[in-house]
Amino acid sequence: MSAAAGPSPHTGGKSAKREVPSGVFRRAAGREAAWLRRHPRELAMISWVPLLAVLLLWWMFSAGIPTRLPIAIVDDDHSALSRQLARMLEAAPGLRIARRDASLAEARAGMERGDIYAVVAIERDFSRDIKRGASGHVTLYHNAQFYTVSGLVLRDVQTVAMTLSAGVEMAARIRRGEPAQAVAVSSEPIRPSSLALFNPSLNYEQFLAAALIPALLHILGMTAGAWAVGREIRDRTVGAWLAAATGAGTDPAGGVCIAAGPALAALAGKLAWPWAGLSAVGLAALLWLTWGRGWHPPGSLPWVAVALAAFIALSITMGAVAALATRSLRTALSLAGVVTAPAFAFSGMGFPLAAMPAGARAWALALPYTHYIRLQVEQLQMGAPLGHSLPTFVLMPVGAVLLALAAAWLLRGVAAEPARWGGR
Amino acid sequence: MAARGCAAAWRDTLAELLRDKGALLLIVLAPVFYGFFYPWPYATEVLQRVPVAIVDLDHSSLSRQIVRYADASPDLRVAMVTGDEESARQAMWRGEIEGYALLTRDLRRNVLRGRPAPVVVSTNGSYALYNKAVMTGFTAVIGTVSAGVEIAQRTARGQGRAQAMAGRSPVGVSAVALYNPTGGYGSYVVPAVALIIMQQTLLMGIAMLAGTWAEAGRLRAPASVWLGRVLAFSTAGLFAGLVYFGWIFWLQDYPRGGNPLGALVLLLCYAPAVSVAGALLGAWLKDREQALQVWLFTSLPIAFLSGFAWPVESLPPVLQAVRWIFPSTAGIDASLRLNQMGAPLADVAGSLSWLAAWALAGFAALAWWMRPRDPGTLRGDVRSA
Repeated sequence: MSAAAGPSPHTGGKSAKREVPSGVFRRAAGREAAWLRRHPRELAMISWVPLLAVLLLWWMFSAGIPTRLPIAIVDDDHSALSRQLARMLEAAPGLRIARRDASLAEARAGMERGDIYAVVAIERDFSRDIKRGASGHVTLYHNAQFYTVSGLVLRDVQTVAMTLSAGVEMAARIRRGEPAQAVAVSSEPIRPSSLALFNPSLNYEQFLAAALIPALLHILGMTAGAWAVGREIRDRTVGAWLAAATGAGTDPAGGVCIAAGPALAALAGKLAWPWAGLSAVGLAALLWLTWGRGWHPPGSLPWVAVALAAFIALSITMGAVAALATRSLRTALSLAGVVTAPAFAFSGMGFPLAAMPAGARAWALALPYTHYIRLQVEQLQMGAPLGHSLPTFVLMPVGAVLLALAAAWLLRGVAAEPARWGGR
Repeated sequence: MAARGCAAAWRDTLAELLRDKGALLLIVLAPVFYGFFYPWPYATEVLQRVPVAIVDLDHSSLSRQIVRYADASPDLRVAMVTGDEESARQAMWRGEIEGYALLTRDLRRNVLRGRPAPVVVSTNGSYALYNKAVMTGFTAVIGTVSAGVEIAQRTARGQGRAQAMAGRSPVGVSAVALYNPTGGYGSYVVPAVALIIMQQTLLMGIAMLAGTWAEAGRLRAPASVWLGRVLAFSTAGLFAGLVYFGWIFWLQDYPRGGNPLGALVLLLCYAPAVSVAGALLGAWLKDREQALQVWLFTSLPIAFLSGFAWPVESLPPVLQAVRWIFPSTAGIDASLRLNQMGAPLADVAGSLSWLAAWALAGFAALAWWMRPRDPGTLRGDVRSA
């Protein structure tokens, strides 16, 4: 592990002594800290900006479950029963009757204006049909362009219709002279009762916010890794960085020849800051979403925290590798955009992995976020035994270490070729 | 003279945009690339035959009928029939199934005696789409089996078959999906995300170019030159917009073309608003690459603030107002209603005027802030020809 082993004709006095990796790490970290102190905008991107962004995401979903979604009602029946249906819809926690329209065309215009998400249309003979013993019809026109909302409205309207149905049917049976007790029991021979095993209340704070926060830190992590390393290449300061960290001298062209060990230590010292900043934000968010909000996940929270820190380390090293492999800050940042920004869309949290075309699924499975988020769901929501999540627990830090080694190897090549620094 | 300066700036900016590899990639190629990359995972659009298990503790003709019906349901595929609930739970952890129905011992006997016979359906609430498909699938299957039993019981009691069938469910709800009739997932996500892709790529590309000008000391310019620049950026934005509205929506077969003229008016407001925002960001950062660093992560919060995925009504009131800062909020609102829902222009007047006002106010701020310093004395400033 001798940093001074390389052929360095212009060595200063400092570089003559043998370097230990911890010394290289400390000096690289010190130099980066001094830079961050002088560049508050860059410090912001690994400290308070991520913190505010994470807070914003949590705040957006803090309602947990959407309530009082505006709908319209078109009542062509004007009967006691249709008014009862309207009252029941209004009483459903998920719905709010925002408009009462005389015609469907009017209600649809309201939908196009964005006033409402759905229209409940009650047919003219609704009440008469039911009294005759036939089915009374209600049509729900929902705006399927708003997928989440459509699903919630549909569920609530169906529940209300079922409740009203059951009431009407019981009344009819009692009229026919069946004993009330028997009616209550046998109104539906087999009844499905739902039980969402994990995340039973379908709480979006626990489902979406908890998934989006690591996705956001993933983007910020790869960006930070690409920036920290790519900036030195752009500004032609790779030599200054490595010389300051390892004590190695520069050749006349400004290049540095160092061994892989010191290169790794110099990289680690530089990347320690974004890792510490983003991990602290991630950990704070994890604790706030769970204990802070009275949610006690069934799995292992400490292990999720460890995995999250490893995932952030992996994201940062991905950025460093991108910068060193392309030797261009701009290209590395663009790659960060391509890889991390759509990672949530590919993760299976929205549209399931199993339903994706094979190529998209292969890409999704190559993305670390897909694996991290599965682990998080297994531990925070499904309460799976740790063994089920073990492969990801192991792969996440192993991946980070392998990428760091690759980055160190690439850095040696980059450091020796000053002619290729400065690309924009 | 100002008009000539504006035209020259328009031409020069477009030429520079084509020469600058970084800006070209971001402003012209990235929107086309993402137009194919982003819809990729959603290509199948709908979820079908989700693997489920049935935990059968009854072992009766009725429980076997439920298994058969479940396997015939378009929503479900019975991947496992087991007598042990724990093994179903294990399969769920392994991701082999996404839900299961528990058929209790004595299910058939209870049904025949008219006792309550609940079937508990357990789903994975961590995945909204699976949850919905499993619930819908099992509810339909059990409803069908249940109706069969009940109609048989009623006809046995002497009711007519038609009356027995109608009486079962006096209030029937039929759901009609408007604007996205197949209920496709990509059809819901991509048309909205398209506006975010357009905004983010154009905005970062412009900020990159403006940063480059700032580094070279030729960012400041008279209003006429700024007008030419913004019009050049808007031309590129218009191109990306036409690629999405006219080509990618059509290629992916998404709901589209509801109000093409209205959509064009939208682009004419949206592209300048985004262009001005990008120029302001670049003027503030004064660094070629930094726009990518500070803006990349914003796509995620912007998407969920815009109101298409998470209902606006459920956002905290402050955020309901703050979200309009991003041109994409008004852009998505107007685009979904014009392209997918076919709303008349008047219905989106609010969003369009907001975009126009954004562009005008932003331009005024930009031209004043980035005006030439001491015209005529400072080298490097671009002056109107």
